[in-house]
Amino acid sequence: MIIPLIQNETLKILRRKRFAVVAAILFAIIALVTYSQYRRLNELRNQNWRAEIQQRVAAMQNTLRRGRVNETWARSMRAEINRLQFYLDHDIEPNKPTAPIFVRTFANVAGFLLLPLLIGILGSDIVSAENAEGTDKLLLTRPVRRWKVLTAKLITLWTFATLTLMSGAALAYTVSAPFLPRGGWAAPTFTGFSVAKGSIQIDAVRQLPLWKDTLIAYGLEWFALLTVACIALLLSVLFKSSAAAIGTMLASLIGGTILTRISPDWTAGKYLFVSALPLADYYTGEPPPYDGMSMLFCIGLLGAWAIVATTISYIIFTRRDVFG
Amino acid sequence: MNDISPTLTATSLTKIIGKKTIVDSVSFELQRGEIFGFLGPNGAGKTTTIRMLVGLIRPTAGHVTICGFDQRREFEQAMRCVGCIVENPDLYRFMTGRENLEHFARMLGVAMSEIPRVAELVSLSHRLEQRVGTYSLGMRQRLGIAQALLGDPKLLILDEPANGLDPAGIREIRELLRRLAEERGMSIFISSHLLAEIELTCDRVAIIHKGRILREGSVRELISSRREMELRVDDVGRAETIVRERNLSFRTDTDRIWVAIEEPDAPPLIAALVQSGVNVFHAQRRTQSLEDMFLEATGGESVD
Repeated sequence: MIIPLIQNETLKILRRKRFAVVAAILFAIIALVTYSQYRRLNELRNQNWRAEIQQRVAAMQNTLRRGRVNETWARSMRAEINRLQFYLDHDIEPNKPTAPIFVRTFANVAGFLLLPLLIGILGSDIVSAENAEGTDKLLLTRPVRRWKVLTAKLITLWTFATLTLMSGAALAYTVSAPFLPRGGWAAPTFTGFSVAKGSIQIDAVRQLPLWKDTLIAYGLEWFALLTVACIALLLSVLFKSSAAAIGTMLASLIGGTILTRISPDWTAGKYLFVSALPLADYYTGEPPPYDGMSMLFCIGLLGAWAIVATTISYIIFTRRDVFG
Repeated sequence: MNDISPTLTATSLTKIIGKKTIVDSVSFELQRGEIFGFLGPNGAGKTTTIRMLVGLIRPTAGHVTICGFDQRREFEQAMRCVGCIVENPDLYRFMTGRENLEHFARMLGVAMSEIPRVAELVSLSHRLEQRVGTYSLGMRQRLGIAQALLGDPKLLILDEPANGLDPAGIREIRELLRRLAEERGMSIFISSHLLAEIELTCDRVAIIHKGRILREGSVRELISSRREMELRVDDVGRAETIVRERNLSFRTDTDRIWVAIEEPDAPPLIAALVQSGVNVFHAQRRTQSLEDMFLEATGGESVD
């Protein structure tokens, strides 16, 4: 009985051209980044990568020695130095752009702002638009319980969140493949650089083929995006206008990111969903902004946000009076 | 459901928001094949009542039974018997007429082969492939009715169905509604501020004002309950005395007197007037229109 409802919601998203907008934005951004990568590839041909990396490590060590950076940045820098040092020690060129690496990097770069934002665009008007256009009066007077209507909307949103992530990956590969080296899925990657009490835990570093590493990163990102979809659904239920819902989503993503960057002392910030959102970054080795944020904590936190947001959505949606 | 039980029963429906009572203990019944008119000025509680009937608003007190099903506890069974338009015929403007009908057919589990039939009923077949955004209000009204007719409901609830239709369209829809009521035994609930329309379409009517039903009855009953005769005379004063002698109720104007009187009693009164030297220029029976009745019932506040 729920399948026809999902079919309806899918039709509405497609007819509203929301997904087309999302795909167009992804394409534009990916094309732009590919171009810059392509230029860098040409520059790299005449460069000594070892010298360049040693230079970067030295620069970061200088900054740290001067001690003018706050603790969050310092931790992040120390982790980066360790990672680069590891590449130097093992004679692996880390930054050579290839299409597979581009796909892998996309998960991290797009994961903490771009993709959540696109899911916000898709999701924020899934309920509020029915409100604004007056179609809720028909939708909710059909012989279908309100919880079923909302469930169909949530499932549809999850489906499109998944599609968005998959199209991001697919576009990243197909757009970059003509310009960058295409192979290299089996190249080794190193993850798990972690900083414990200021020193590097090299033994925690794991070596994985790129394709496996990519799958894990996208899996984590997928989980994060499902959470974002739940929060977008809640905003869409709460606000009557789509613009207000999208605006709030945008503000909480950007605001939360700024907050975690500028006030790392306010430790309660680690309970914000934005703090846990860049799962793929944390997996790669970027340290989370607050102490005590293990991968398990982040996943649990996002799960809790998703459950709470969904529960509130259901309670409000199934009980509220629909006025004009 | 057996044939005697009412299609729709509203039992002391009440909605209180904050301290304001929007709808106050409204009750009525709709029998099979009956067209029921719901009349009231804006802000009288018409729309709130309709929203409670179809489950958009939860009543503070009272309940609704549709085809024998409790609308809250057995929502799906109850709503399966209902087709409705609440306020405006708001459909998905970014989809075509056909896509809209398919959307609602899917929600009902109704076969897609139903769509040409309902489109034909409201004469919309030729525009089904166009986006609803390009429709006029009258066409959206028709599409709304087509949508409401999907799944052969036993009860049709229409909020201002004449809105946006031209006179020919109004007549066409009125005939369609009468046909549905007579041939299929559909019960139809219509809210309107167009009194003439209600008078022509409905069997029974309720007048709602400030959240309460002021009057309810068959249209004929309500109209004939107030039959009077209008007389134009030269001496209103003397005519008044004669009417008073006969214990008839009346009201007067500068040159006219209206007397509540049954038809057989009219000639003797006229004879008596003439005998006592009152010149009668004009005598006419007048049935009070729904509009007069409405103005009287609401104390002169205009409709709309």
